[in-house]
Amino acid sequence: MSNRTLPRILQTPAVILLLIWMLVPLSMTLYFSFIRYVLNSSIRPEWMSPSLSNWRGFGNYKYVLDAKDFWFAIQNSVFIVTSILVLTVVLGLGIAVLINKSFPGRGIVRVLLISPFFVMPAVNAVLWINMILDPVLGLQGIAVGSINDMIDGLRDFPVLGVFFNLWPTFEPISFRATQTSAYAVIMMVAWQWTPFAVLIFMTSLQSEDESQKEAATLDGASPWSQFINLTVPHLARPIAIVVMIQSIFHLSLYAEIEIVSRGSGNKNLPYLIGEFTNNNIGAASATGIFAVILANIIAIFLLRMVGKSLMD
Amino acid sequence: MATVSQNSKLGNVLWPALAWIIALVFFFPIFWLVFTSFKTDADAVKPEFLFFFTPTLENYTNMTQNYDYWRFATNSVITSSFATLFALVVGVPAAYAMAFNPSRHTKDILMWMLSTKMLPAAAVLYPMTFLTKNMLGIYDTHFLVILVLCLINLPIVVWMLFTYFKEIPKEIIEAGKMDGVSTWGEIKDILIPLAWGGIASTALLTFIFCWNEAYWTVRLTTIDAATLSTLIEGNRAPEGLFFGRLAAVSTAAVAPIVILGWFCQKQLVAGLTFGAVK
Repeated sequence: MSNRTLPRILQTPAVILLLIWMLVPLSMTLYFSFIRYVLNSSIRPEWMSPSLSNWRGFGNYKYVLDAKDFWFAIQNSVFIVTSILVLTVVLGLGIAVLINKSFPGRGIVRVLLISPFFVMPAVNAVLWINMILDPVLGLQGIAVGSINDMIDGLRDFPVLGVFFNLWPTFEPISFRATQTSAYAVIMMVAWQWTPFAVLIFMTSLQSEDESQKEAATLDGASPWSQFINLTVPHLARPIAIVVMIQSIFHLSLYAEIEIVSRGSGNKNLPYLIGEFTNNNIGAASATGIFAVILANIIAIFLLRMVGKSLMD
Repeated sequence: MATVSQNSKLGNVLWPALAWIIALVFFFPIFWLVFTSFKTDADAVKPEFLFFFTPTLENYTNMTQNYDYWRFATNSVITSSFATLFALVVGVPAAYAMAFNPSRHTKDILMWMLSTKMLPAAAVLYPMTFLTKNMLGIYDTHFLVILVLCLINLPIVVWMLFTYFKEIPKEIIEAGKMDGVSTWGEIKDILIPLAWGGIASTALLTFIFCWNEAYWTVRLTTIDAATLSTLIEGNRAPEGLFFGRLAAVSTAAVAPIVILGWFCQKQLVAGLTFGAVK
C-alpha cells in the first residue's frame, strides 16, 4: 500500500464516526427549527409529527426572540459564566503562585486542591445545595442559627447586652430562589473549576524564566511588581485558554441548574432548551441553533489559539 | 506581600500556612460529604451531632436496599470501560496516522474534530431522543450510552494520543518499516510499547470523563442503562430526611474517580487544553 492511502484509511473510522455524530443530529435540529412541530396539540394534530408541509420559515426564531424567557436565559447564562470565570481565574492565579514554591507537604496540598475537579457534577450539586447551603439543615442554616443563639445569650449581659440588643437576628439565605440559586450554581461550579485553573497556571509557571525574576529582585523590584510585570504577561496565554475552555463547558452547564434551580425560575440556555423540548420542538431547535452560534463564536478564538501551538 | 521579602523567615511560615488553609477549605466539602455519610439520617440533621456522633456504617450496608446502588454502579463501570476501550481502538490508529504520516489536511482534521467537542449538547437533545427512541429503538440501552460516551470523548482521545505520539522519534517507526514490519506490527510491537504511558493516561482520563458525564447519560436513559449520575440526579432533593444515606451513596459514586484523578493530574492539563499549555 502506498504511503498516502494507508494513513487515510487508519483515520477514516474516527472521521466518519465524528462526521455522523456532528451532522445527523444537527441537521435534524436545523430542519425542526424551520417547521411547526409540537408534541401535544389537540387542535392541530398535523403539527405533531415532523413534515415539510408544516414549514414555518423563521417563525420559530421570531417566536424565540420574542420570548422573555429566551433573553432571561441568555442574560443568565452570560452572568453565570462570567462570574465563574472571574472567580476561578483570580483564585486560580493566587493559589497557583502560592503553591509554586516548594514547602512542607506541597504534594498533599496539591492533591487536596485538585480533588473537587473529579467530583461528578450531580454529586457536587446535591452536596452543596443540601448539606452545605440548606437554610435549615445545611451547614449554613446551622451556622446562622448558632450565631443567633450566641447573640441572644450575650443580650443578657449587663452593658454589653445593650450593644447586642441593637444587633439584628440573622436570617439564613434560601438558595432555591431565582437569583440566589444562580449564586449557588456559581459557587459550586467555581469550587469545582478553580482546581482546573490552578493546575494549568501551575504547569505554566514551571516554565517561567527564573533568571529574569532573580534579576528583577536584584534590581529591587517588589514581589508584587514582579507578579504584575513578569508573571501575569507570562500567564496571558494560559489565562486565555482557561477562559475559553471554561466558557464552552459552562455555557452548556446543565446538571447543576437542573438540581439546584428546578422550579425556581433560574435558567440558562440548555435548561430553556430542555423546557421547550417538553412540547415545542420547533422553538427548542431554534434556541439550539442560537446556542450553537454562541458557542461557535468562542470556539473560533479557542481553535485559533490551539492551532498555533499544534504542529510545533 | 510588598513588605514581606520572600526570603524572610515570616514569609517561609506564613505562605505555606496560607496554602494549607486554602487547600483544607477547598477539600472541606468533600470531607463533609464523607463525614456525613457515617451519621444516621436522624443524626445528620441535628446540630448537636455536628461534629461528635456515633459513627455508623449502616448507610453503606443499606445502599443496595435504599438506592439499588450496585445496579447503577455496574452500569457506570460497563459503559465507561467499553466507551474508553472503543475510543482507544478508533483513536490509536487515527492518532498514529496523523502523527507519523501527516498530510496537508491533518491539522484541519484535528481542529475540526475538536470543534465537534464544542457543540452544545442541548442543541441536539431532541433529535437524539427522536433518533434513538422512535427510529432506532436503542434508547436506554448500554449500547447507546457506550456509543455516545465514546463519541463525545473521541476528539480528546485523538488529541491526547496525537500529542504523545508526536514526541516519539519518527526514525524508530521508520526503522521498523525498513525491516519490513507491517503497519499493524508497527502499531502493536513498536508504537504501543513505546507510548504505553501516554495511552494509559489517556485511557484513565477518558474513563473519568465518561464516569462523570451528566448530560447524555441522564437524558438518554431511564432505568436499564442508567448510570450513577442518573441515580444521584434522581435524588436531588431529599428534603433533609435522608442526608446520611444520600451522603453515603454520593461518596460511593465519587470516591473511585477522585482517587483515580489523583494519579493523573499531570495528564489532565494536556487532555483539557489540547496540548496548548505545556
